[in-house]
Amino acid sequence: MPTSRHRSAVAFALCAGASLIVARASAQSAPRDGDWTMPSKDYAATRYSTLAQITPANAKSLHPVWTFSTGTLGGHEGQPLVVNNTMYVVTPYPNVLYAFDLAKEGYPLKWKYRPNVDQNSIGIACCDVVNRGAVYSNGKIVYNLLDGHTVAVDAATGKELWMTKIADLAAGETTPMAPLIVKDRVLVGASGGEFGILGWVKGLDLATGKIVWTATNIGPDSLVLAKAGTFKAFYDKGAQLGQTTWPADAWKHGGAPVWGWMSYDPELDLVYYGVGNPGPYNAEQRLGDNKWTASVLARHPEDGSLVWAYQFTPHDSWDFDAAAEMILVDLKIGGKMRKALVHFDKNGFEYTMDRATGEVLLAEPYVKVNWASKIDLATGRPVLNDAKQTGASRGNVKDICPTLEGGKSPASPVAYSPRTGLFYASTNSMCMDYEAVQTAHLKGTPFMGFNSPYHAGSDPNMGAFIAWDATTGKRAWAIKEPFPVWSGSLATRGDVVFYGTLDGWFKAADARSGAVLWKFKVGSGVVGDPITFTGADGKQYVAIYAGIGGDWLLLSGDYISNDPADVRDPADFARNLARHTSQGGIVWIFAL
Amino acid sequence: MKTLPSRSRAMLAVLVLASVACREQKGIPAVTTSDSSGAAMTSTSATTTNALVISRHDDRIFAGGIAPPPERFTNSAAHDAKAADAGAMLFTGMNCDGCHGGGAVGAVGPSLTDGRWRYGGADADIYRSIAEGRPKGMPAFGGVLQPAMIWRLVAYIKLLPAPKDAPTESW
Repeated sequence: MPTSRHRSAVAFALCAGASLIVARASAQSAPRDGDWTMPSKDYAATRYSTLAQITPANAKSLHPVWTFSTGTLGGHEGQPLVVNNTMYVVTPYPNVLYAFDLAKEGYPLKWKYRPNVDQNSIGIACCDVVNRGAVYSNGKIVYNLLDGHTVAVDAATGKELWMTKIADLAAGETTPMAPLIVKDRVLVGASGGEFGILGWVKGLDLATGKIVWTATNIGPDSLVLAKAGTFKAFYDKGAQLGQTTWPADAWKHGGAPVWGWMSYDPELDLVYYGVGNPGPYNAEQRLGDNKWTASVLARHPEDGSLVWAYQFTPHDSWDFDAAAEMILVDLKIGGKMRKALVHFDKNGFEYTMDRATGEVLLAEPYVKVNWASKIDLATGRPVLNDAKQTGASRGNVKDICPTLEGGKSPASPVAYSPRTGLFYASTNSMCMDYEAVQTAHLKGTPFMGFNSPYHAGSDPNMGAFIAWDATTGKRAWAIKEPFPVWSGSLATRGDVVFYGTLDGWFKAADARSGAVLWKFKVGSGVVGDPITFTGADGKQYVAIYAGIGGDWLLLSGDYISNDPADVRDPADFARNLARHTSQGGIVWIFAL
Repeated sequence: MKTLPSRSRAMLAVLVLASVACREQKGIPAVTTSDSSGAAMTSTSATTTNALVISRHDDRIFAGGIAPPPERFTNSAAHDAKAADAGAMLFTGMNCDGCHGGGAVGAVGPSLTDGRWRYGGADADIYRSIAEGRPKGMPAFGGVLQPAMIWRLVAYIKLLPAPKDAPTESW
């Protein structure tokens, strides 16, 4: 995106003297920007919009102005884009791309694009057939198909410009993640932490789709693109760490998927992304730290070279993917402004880091955590609770908190408001039993080796939408929810924040107090991410997908209604959920 | 979730059997095929008697109302009291539980315990689903499992208890 560096510089200048005394977004969009051109709104992944017509005073008069059935029933994660009075919606498999004309009454379709996606991807995707969204740049809509292809479509006409095979479905790789575009690079990664993949990210050429570079997340430095003189981790010294922290060739089937979100700092020229779990789930088959699984990696987008890396959960024994977003904001910590990176890990800790070096400045639990007592800031390593370590020889280890779904799911990205200095996060209060067993890698089949029933945590409410201060590691407020909260968050300059619930409510809350201002029942559970935009009429609108799914395809038992040959018991820990929701893909738009 | 027996033992057995299977002829055996190679590998199969399985495609719509000629299979696990136990170990060892869940209660793949079947629930239908795969991502295991092993999986799956009241949920 050629203008983004310039725009963020302008935003800096405008914001520096205004409201951002304590904190400011580093790559925030300009004040009158009413479009939503990339998955996380901006390069800093703040999901913060400067639109301010909707306020705590008037939010109660929000009402639906438009809906659209996507015709698909997979989990509707991700978010639409809005560019030049056009809304772009990518469905779950089979990944139809719709373009709606927001300048005309009823928002009719301008075009739709229907790729031929391999239906084998339905079963190779670990956790439903989700897609986490498209990205716009330079007249193109770019997104991933579930079966391992990236496509670029002409934003005006819907014509396919290029399609590149990036992943190998037969090896267990699928591609639900949302790409990021930096200048002329399209950055993509693959899922498959449950199929023994060798995880990677690739940089494609935006104009042609050609793969310019491939960097693995595990393995020798030559594959990881950790070059002498360029790569410098804050804690982990030495070379070949992606290979020497594994037994023999275990890294070759070691997982390390990339299925979440990417962010970018234009000044440091670094792309940040989280890496998922090591495989198999039985940690005794892969002794060692297993770098760089469950880690954050910082790379130069142009050539993919690794600049620093940090592992949140060394030798992960709980499926604690670090796939969640890395939010890039400047925060005042210990009296000093820092170029920070904020990350809510599956493992239950919120990490505030220095994004230039990878130093952990603060790490505090944001939900109940019992697998570790704390993160040692001197070494960067968790202080482990031995009783909660897992492995085939330990049998069924009971009552580990949080679950492998995370204290916050990486599928539920956080928003940040520079006006309040708070992060808004969907969290879960669940614990699990974890029984690891020996397993063998068989290409094209799962590589897991475990049983893990979940149960509710000690809190009778299984979820909460929280506001969090990442400079102190403390919760500002919480809205308790009966079920785990799985939607993304949206923060606005009007001091209204938005989120959705699994039992199908879309809610607006006061960013400062946490008071619920408004709610509406959207027809299916919400696992998508709200956005806001300015319509052709100059009014502020808010959009959200309804459509429960994602991991809830695995977790909730019988919420499926479209397959008479698949009837399940309800999930033990959420037996009541199917009372409130079934599958269904709907795009909603709300306005005052 | 159901706990399955002795996974590591199952893995050893699977690796041995799979390597043998790869060298053997694949595909659905004809009626006349005597499939004793798998039986010889476990101590539990000494009493195996081959049985004819006829697939009449009874769950299909027949053009003209006329059924096609029945297909014939030899179920080498019929009358094998221990076949389902061996199948349970295979279900874990071949990573079936990774998609269908422990005890086959359903995960990203459909439940196999609800008594309902996308592609038919007759022994021969389940055999074909395993051997040939199905289009929504069910891998074809016919390349790594010999017929006798697939029949043991069929025996295990057919013994899974169906729930009493699947059609209705009420609050």
